Amino acid sequence: MDENVTPGRKGNLTGSARKLKDNAADWHNFILKWERLNDEGSAHATKIVNLVLSKESAKETTLLPGADQSDTGLSVADTSSVPSSRTELFTDLEEECTKLQEIVEKMAHIVSKMEKIVSSEKGICDLETFQFGAKGRDCPLFLTWSTSQFVDVSSRLYGCYRQELALKQLILRQLAHTSDPQLSMVYLSAWLYQPYIDDKTKLLLESLLLETGHRT
Amino acid sequence: MAQTVISLCHQHLKKCFQTLEMTNKAWNLVLAECTPLISSLGNLGEQLRALDNVQLDLTPLHRFPDLKERLRFKLLQAVDVVLCKLTDKVDELQKLLKTLNNQVSTAFQFYEHNTDTLDLATCTLRSATSPSIADMLEWLQDAHNYYCSQFRRRKYLLQVLRPDDLVFMEEVSKRWESFYSADGEEHIEDTLSRVCLFVDS
Repeated sequence: MDENVTPGRKGNLTGSARKLKDNAADWHNFILKWERLNDEGSAHATKIVNLVLSKESAKETTLLPGADQSDTGLSVADTSSVPSSRTELFTDLEEECTKLQEIVEKMAHIVSKMEKIVSSEKGICDLETFQFGAKGRDCPLFLTWSTSQFVDVSSRLYGCYRQELALKQLILRQLAHTSDPQLSMVYLSAWLYQPYIDDKTKLLLESLLLETGHRT
Repeated sequence: MAQTVISLCHQHLKKCFQTLEMTNKAWNLVLAECTPLISSLGNLGEQLRALDNVQLDLTPLHRFPDLKERLRFKLLQAVDVVLCKLTDKVDELQKLLKTLNNQVSTAFQFYEHNTDTLDLATCTLRSATSPSIADMLEWLQDAHNYYCSQFRRRKYLLQVLRPDDLVFMEEVSKRWESFYSADGEEHIEDTLSRVCLFVDS
């Protein structure tokens, strides 16, 4: 049977091994795509913070002419110029927020695909339990991992990205409404440095790729 | 005999000034590569300070477990990466300094071994195309001292830099820039232009 050979070393895989190897490649591609989106998003997030901060300083300057009613020509010139620049600011801000939202939506789509990987691997595991009993298969599908280890690794990877997505969704909601520069900076750091994706995540992915023969 | 010694001394001095010109160009290139790294370091310092100042429990981020610790770890990791790159750059400066040092030492050793021939009158003799040996040795020593002091200051700054000293981290960019000496650079440029006819001869 195909299931009894060592598929990690063979060219044509079928069945569970094929599915697990494809899933591993999908993990790799999803994570690459995620990183690209993260970099793009970081640039938009930084622009949003800069725009919010300039909006705040523009607010202060519009207060000044209103406070001094004796100003005539100069204050008219000032008040007419500030709203137009403020409108521009708002338009830019909205544009950047929309772009960031699109990025977060793409990230959410990636995470939903990651979830599907986990569920398909759980299905493979259940199938094996049905075929071989609770002990599972005697011979590993690839090098050393049991099928349940693939489920475990995928679940852990998915958990990290799900948490990171939740953080990014919160940053998206809050970023344009935060006038505290320190908090904005924390949001930007959290976006860029992705605290829930650590070295362990990278190690899990690399192990997965090594086990399935994508890395040698 | 005297002419041979003078000619050999001139050869050593020419090599020194060629090395000095190469060092000057390479040194400025390495420093230009350091500028974005130093500014990253200052920026990371600001981010670490912001993380310290913000009470995450009072912000919408409170529902994320261990966020502060995780983010701090990531930021410190980024500091490490930048510091490693900067250390590599400072090592490049050290290599340049070593090459210059070897060349200048050889010229001085030659002079010291031949002080009988290279007496005061010979050493202070100059022409339209060639500065005196004494002047050239002095300029080389000045240039060498300048690069030595530049190297030591920059290396010391990176050695005493601690990621937990946030004030220092934020000021690192200013301190790094403060080491730049317009006078020192001008002095090197002057030296190179004074000897250009001599080196080409």
